[in-house]
Amino acid sequence: MSNELAAFSNYLASAVEWAGRSVVAVHARPRFSSSGAIWRPGVIVTAEHTIRREDEITVTLPDGSNQPATLAGSDAGTDLAVLKLANPSGEPVKQGAAETRPGHLALSVGRSEDSGVNATMGIVSAVSGSWRTWRGGRLDQYIRLDLTMYPSSSGSLVIDTSGAALGIATSALSRIAGVAIPSSTVNRVLDEILARGHVRRGYLGVGLQPVELPDHQKGLIVLSVEAEGPAAKAGALIGDILVSLGAKTVADTDDVQAALEASGVGKTIEAGVLRGGERKHLTITIGERPRRN
Amino acid sequence: MQGFGEVAESLRRLTVQVLSDGGGRGSGSGSGVIWHSSGLIVTNAHVARSRDPEVKLWDGRQFTGQLLSFDSDRDLAALRISGNGLPAAVAGDSSALRPGELVIASGNPMGFAGALTTGVIHSIGPLPGMGRQGWVRSTVRLAPGNSGGPLANAHGHVIGINTAIVYGLGAAVPAHDVIRFVRETIAQLRGRAEAA
Repeated sequence: MSNELAAFSNYLASAVEWAGRSVVAVHARPRFSSSGAIWRPGVIVTAEHTIRREDEITVTLPDGSNQPATLAGSDAGTDLAVLKLANPSGEPVKQGAAETRPGHLALSVGRSEDSGVNATMGIVSAVSGSWRTWRGGRLDQYIRLDLTMYPSSSGSLVIDTSGAALGIATSALSRIAGVAIPSSTVNRVLDEILARGHVRRGYLGVGLQPVELPDHQKGLIVLSVEAEGPAAKAGALIGDILVSLGAKTVADTDDVQAALEASGVGKTIEAGVLRGGERKHLTITIGERPRRN
Repeated sequence: MQGFGEVAESLRRLTVQVLSDGGGRGSGSGSGVIWHSSGLIVTNAHVARSRDPEVKLWDGRQFTGQLLSFDSDRDLAALRISGNGLPAAVAGDSSALRPGELVIASGNPMGFAGALTTGVIHSIGPLPGMGRQGWVRSTVRLAPGNSGGPLANAHGHVIGINTAIVYGLGAAVPAHDVIRFVRETIAQLRGRAEAA
């Protein structure tokens, strides 16, 4: 029986086979391996939450061989980790996927040491703009996947039907569905990690609580100030109410994070505060958020 | 899409319901595949738990089956019913499967007759803790009662017998193992006939 269904089936299998040349198995946690994608020659991207040890990480390459890999850095906020191979092997992923929309087919392509390439298929169920994860990172797009995530699915390469990379699959960023960490975010985070081993996030060194002001405007009251922190150096005091950063008003912590991201570590930013009913301006040099281990 | 309905319908017709009361462990109900038009049915060994299970066809006809052979290692059993000219499976080449291929499973999950589920081939290989034998893993959603039923490719060719659910993935015995099992069953029966 020759039919459209069989032709379509072959087409999907070919896209998976093609993408599989860029997909590795990552052995960095007990029980289940995860997958990763060769994003650039010798550089593998995987889901950060599947990396449970920093030493003795190995990967199973598309040719079936195992090779040690070193952790170049990771970013829990976007759930991305970057591994480097001593001897580059395999093909980097195909970039330049067309804009994805809800309803488009998506395949996630992974690898295991025992069985080689594996695949699941579903649709893109939602796409929206810039999205902050519960882990604090920012994805350029929120791409929700309606495809089943299995125990080793995280870190798999998500492709469209042409085999081009939509992103990296993770089950750790949403409770209700798998999410594709978009390719543009992977590129941005990868550049930062390769440059300095981690992603820098802006930091003021204050504890903030959103409050409503008598004139129905909103702001954030300073509850704590870290000694010698960026805000302390600029003269911030407990009890100040932060109402703007740069040109923008701020009403909650998301606004603060967005303003810090827009400026960047090391840059100065004008902070508008209310102190004793009077408006004041502080010039804060944005620091780098200390990293927890 | 042209082809899908035809494949689904032909698959439903070669899928049977197998009912065997499992000797006190509650009545077993599963699925089976008409492998030969003369009435040879293949199912799982864990589904065919009596010597004479009842076999119900898609059109409602019911037969008392006769257990011909079973292999508990590979979890396969062969039954004979006294039918003729039945719609039989065409076996697909399970050694040529590729991850991402479309698959369709038919069976009787939770007692629903003729339920279909679709997915793709996830991977082909061994299952952890279950020896070196190969399995066809697919993303079809199986439930108890699918056991023994067919997993087919986009041509409608049967590429495996749905047997287990492992971490949410459907695990099927590959068709080439079924072909070998059926060949051995027939050889055994010939041997018995000659000895008689």
